[in-house]
Amino acid sequence: MSCDHILATQSYLDGQLNGAESDAAERHLQTCFECQQFAAQAADLSDALRNATRHPAPEFLRARVRAALRREAAPSKVRAFWWGAASGGGASALAAALALFLFLPPSAASLAEAVADAHARALTSGKTIMVASSNHHVVKPWLAAHAGLSPPTTDFAAQGFVLTGGRTDTIAGDKAAVSVYAHGNHELDLFTWVAKGGALPRSTTVRGFHTAFWKEGDLNFAAVSDMDEAAFQKFVELARE
Amino acid sequence: MDDRRQRFEALALPHMDAAYNLARWLSRSPVEADDIVQDAMLRAFRAFDGFRGGDIKAWLLTIVRNCWLSTAAGNRRRAHASLEDQELPATEASPEDAAIRAGAQRRMDLLIAQLAPEFREVLILREMVDLSYREIAEITGTPIGTVMSRLARARTQLRESAKDVL
Repeated sequence: MSCDHILATQSYLDGQLNGAESDAAERHLQTCFECQQFAAQAADLSDALRNATRHPAPEFLRARVRAALRREAAPSKVRAFWWGAASGGGASALAAALALFLFLPPSAASLAEAVADAHARALTSGKTIMVASSNHHVVKPWLAAHAGLSPPTTDFAAQGFVLTGGRTDTIAGDKAAVSVYAHGNHELDLFTWVAKGGALPRSTTVRGFHTAFWKEGDLNFAAVSDMDEAAFQKFVELARE
Repeated sequence: MDDRRQRFEALALPHMDAAYNLARWLSRSPVEADDIVQDAMLRAFRAFDGFRGGDIKAWLLTIVRNCWLSTAAGNRRRAHASLEDQELPATEASPEDAAIRAGAQRRMDLLIAQLAPEFREVLILREMVDLSYREIAEITGTPIGTVMSRLARARTQLRESAKDVL
């Protein structure tokens, strides 16, 4: 590898560049054979790395860590008692409320907010795409490897919705795969995450973003975009087919 | 009573898998990985009051890596045979031969395990934990440019050794 741009190309492929840098890297990639080769090889390697083992923590280790933490926390009980007595237990109550809040499943209304937030956050940070490709054979395995689930990544270019890439995001604490589509100047995010029960919101507009939710098998889907409503509905119909 | 512990568990335990995966890949030993993760979780809990928000996952992984470094230093002093050597059957002529006989998953695992630690860790943090260059730089305590060049070298080396798999 002798091209001076290899590291920039790598950063681009890893989704680490912002607007102007990203555009420059993309332009270079279109003209440089060496970087194109590097990109193809990096994609192959990424696919192969999906075969490598992800080691989940064994159950017994979780139990062991919890037990160790309990032991570690125990000596401070006396102090906590006095502190709690002095403060009227307010801080403990607050922490308990916070813990409860963290474990509650998101309500349907907050889910619509969360999806709109995630979309808006991606748009304003310019990081809507981590893997840029209109090829669903590239986007799908990348999402499977990075989000741990395999979402549909059908290209609807013929119908006016061009698959431009994918990223991972978080919806109310759950990891989601996002397929990104372009429609004219508008961008649409299709979120996919594992359904854990709980109601999905009805289609609604949040701060100007249209959102639509549906469930298929064990996966939840949410589409979100600021394109006009008719086009948005058309996309939702296509995606749900 | 111990709400501090509950708060810590609520924030930290969801990252146990990421912590264990990193420990396992760095140490290449299930037994060591158990100890590293337990050690790291306890150290993190003790230092929890100093954690001022931000990305708890990156913070935890930094501690996991530090725990691994201290274990690795201890191991070097004891100079005992590491588990990874025992995993390879003695009859195999070379790690490469062993790799070919194993399935695709086992082969990729072996090839990653053979990378030098400084290359292996950036590859794992990028490809498996999905962290940004900046986060990897913070966790490994290296400049971002070094992260980029190590990542490129890791990928080049792996591609070379994995030619038959790709």
